[in-house]
Amino acid sequence: MIVRTVQHLVVKNGVVATVSLTEDEGIGVRVIAGGAWGFAGTDRLDPQGVEDAARRAVRIARASARVNTQPVRLAPLAGASGEYRTPVVRDPFAVSLDDKVDVLMRADTAMAGVSGVTVRESSLEFVREERFFASSEGSRLAQTIIESGGGLDVMATSDDEVQTRSFPNSFGRHQLCAGWEAIESFDLPGNAERLGNEAVALLTADLCPAGVMTVILDGTQAALQVHESCGHPTELDRVLGSEAAFAGMSFLTPDLLGSFRYGSETVTMTADATRETGLGTFGWDDEGVPAQRTVLVDQGLFTGYMSSRETAAVLGQESNGTMRGDGWSRLPIIRMTNVNLEPGTSSLEEMIATTEHGVYLETNRSWSIDDVRLNFQFGTQNAWEIVDGKKTRLVRNALYSGRTPEFWRSCDAVAGPSEWRMWGVVNCGKGQPTQLMHVGHGAAPCRFREVRVEPAG
Amino acid sequence: MTPRSRDELLGAADAVLAHATGDGAEAVAVASEVELTRYAASIIHQNVAESGLRLRARVLADSRVGVAEVRGEAAGSAARVAAAAEDARRISAREDVAPLPAPDGGDDTPVAFSEATAAASPEARADMVGAVTRLAAAQGLRAYGFVSTQTTGTALVNTRGLRRAATSTQASMIALVRGENGSGYAARHSPDVESIDVEGLATEAVDTCMRNQNAHPVEPGLYEVVLSPYAVADLLGHLSWVGFSALAKQEHRSFMRLGEQLMSDTVTIADDCRDPQLFPYPFDDEGVSTRVVNLVERGVCASFVYDTPTALRDGVESTGHSLPQPNTWGPFPRHMHMAAGDRTVDELVGAVKRGLYVTRFWYVRDVHPLRTIITGMTRDGTFLIENGKLGAPVNDLRFTQSIVDALNDVHGVSRDRLLELEEGESGVLSPWLHLGHFAFTS
Repeated sequence: MIVRTVQHLVVKNGVVATVSLTEDEGIGVRVIAGGAWGFAGTDRLDPQGVEDAARRAVRIARASARVNTQPVRLAPLAGASGEYRTPVVRDPFAVSLDDKVDVLMRADTAMAGVSGVTVRESSLEFVREERFFASSEGSRLAQTIIESGGGLDVMATSDDEVQTRSFPNSFGRHQLCAGWEAIESFDLPGNAERLGNEAVALLTADLCPAGVMTVILDGTQAALQVHESCGHPTELDRVLGSEAAFAGMSFLTPDLLGSFRYGSETVTMTADATRETGLGTFGWDDEGVPAQRTVLVDQGLFTGYMSSRETAAVLGQESNGTMRGDGWSRLPIIRMTNVNLEPGTSSLEEMIATTEHGVYLETNRSWSIDDVRLNFQFGTQNAWEIVDGKKTRLVRNALYSGRTPEFWRSCDAVAGPSEWRMWGVVNCGKGQPTQLMHVGHGAAPCRFREVRVEPAG
Repeated sequence: MTPRSRDELLGAADAVLAHATGDGAEAVAVASEVELTRYAASIIHQNVAESGLRLRARVLADSRVGVAEVRGEAAGSAARVAAAAEDARRISAREDVAPLPAPDGGDDTPVAFSEATAAASPEARADMVGAVTRLAAAQGLRAYGFVSTQTTGTALVNTRGLRRAATSTQASMIALVRGENGSGYAARHSPDVESIDVEGLATEAVDTCMRNQNAHPVEPGLYEVVLSPYAVADLLGHLSWVGFSALAKQEHRSFMRLGEQLMSDTVTIADDCRDPQLFPYPFDDEGVSTRVVNLVERGVCASFVYDTPTALRDGVESTGHSLPQPNTWGPFPRHMHMAAGDRTVDELVGAVKRGLYVTRFWYVRDVHPLRTIITGMTRDGTFLIENGKLGAPVNDLRFTQSIVDALNDVHGVSRDRLLELEEGESGVLSPWLHLGHFAFTS
């Protein structure tokens, strides 16, 4: 059973465009009957409504069994009981709406002061989820997850160009499992004027140079690169074909586990549901498996998947706890928790200083990758050309492309812990019906050699 | 499950309106039943159903607006959603709030509705899956996809006397058939689950899969292409996001220049909520009757779609294409079609000396919205065309291409069309297209 409350505020061009509150409560029942799965969700929480949902789930499972020839097998799991609550300094739902609007209006005013800015948008979002899990195997779990997010988008236009800058991240906002303190740490008003100036400057910036060159990604773009090229291909349900008709499959097939060189020795990636502030941080997943840390890529070697009880059983393993459903009406499926690029020993300053010719790319603008997660092309909002160890000029419409293993094998530097941040992605789509999941990615600036770079348009 | 009656839906919305305060208010009740049977490797691995009621309130007073939504049937939901909207309104800044629309005399028809879809059982859906998996298995192939049925009842009332209600259904089936070294895809969508041609769908996916085995690489570059409707729907869907909205025009980010011919004269694109092939629906999320809008006429940019706020700004009437208000996305066409041509698919292929046939695109994203440049991959059946004949399968390719530029080089349009649902789940009815060039980059 899940009770979810979402508060969303948007200020656009100086006016409060949206103040909304969404409350959502219901229960999902997942059963195995006749050796097959069935799931039913309902918002009728009276005893009859819940019983109807359970009966419906059983009927659906038995219908599934009409087609299936093999019964479901699950990896073992002991029942558990307990509580988990996102640690917060200040409950965002206890902060007044006036204070929230004030943050957005101050940011908007700062963006409005920049000549040439045409559209300004700032937003905040707060989520509280009470999740209660019970299973016929004896689990009784209660969790309270709190999220706080916010962001700025500013657009500048000319006759033949549209440029957008976002802060702290694109996709509308940056979000963390944290309280109001997260919003204060973003300092949206303090970054608003700079953001506006950057959008206007991009209108007349030179086009990004084309060629094969060194690429340095900022933390936000590194996070998205990890999401698309490591997070999704290490979801074991994808690997085994569950998503083949929609999201696709994976180039990281089980025969490669433990032997495939995914990246350079600089590259270590983890799925870690215990990392503080990540949007994939919780006490237990939606099968009742405790939150844990799994090494996906160990110094470049492909070593692990994110799994469920059913998919882990296929490999003779135990689940590592990544089953998550988008609310009570959605079947839990394997989702990223916090998929992190672990910090290295370099720094952004050092990476730039030791680059002869390349580009430093900031904040995602476009993203596309094939259905097995090999062939990718990403674009960023900001790009700086680097010549002889120095950022020399702002350039626009940068695209870079490559193939996943070759790209990560060319990674020769990752910045250290002081530049490592937990980033939040709030629009990860997967499954049918579509589920949008909030996932975390710890990342720091990182450098790649001999990457194809070109301008769009 | 039985969908709620029109009176029950209107009653649920009225209950919210009765609790609303202020100068004006809008209440919406949406009851939905969604069932989806998903299969992979020829077994049903996910099989789900959900039912629920959503109540939404929008209140306006003192040049302020507030919105709240409650999902769930707990006692007191109507009062709670109205009170939450009023709380939100109180702290909103004063602004030029667009007024609630008045009744426009439109009736609540036509609506895409089928009793068979509303009553579809999990057993019937399993049998549809079984029909696909059997046909695939007969060729040594495995099938993946889903079949879904959903019923959505909506009532929208406001304090200006507007009262709209409609209950619609949608059934979809997708089949992706895989062999050892390639795959094929087919999709069908209809208000009526019984009109879905399961055997035709399965035959198409199996046939494409069998032809798409052991693909070979081809060099990236500019190719003539024949795009199937699945791929054309992606192009049209992206145009709707980046250009057909009046808000995009007002924010200077639309490619559309009214009166100018930007595309070939065989390109006519309209939004038609009354087209029986496009899930007819009579009103938008403000309760305004949706009009037929010609977006591109014989290659010429013709008009935009409007909601109340954007219409007020331009001094015109809303075309009835609003999403829930207030929003920052603007109006949106949800029933797009491209006009059919006069060719058969074989004639389109026959006119290509050397090019590619594309079944489907994947992960299409905007690269430069103003120039309508998108990128994405081909998927589930890309074939070489040589001397007018469909030939060997080729490895999937990445493209980066301006949509408007591609649609300005149309060599042929098929007379047959197929409905596909875009990522936003709006319907797009598209023909096959023969395009003079398309840029594949890797």
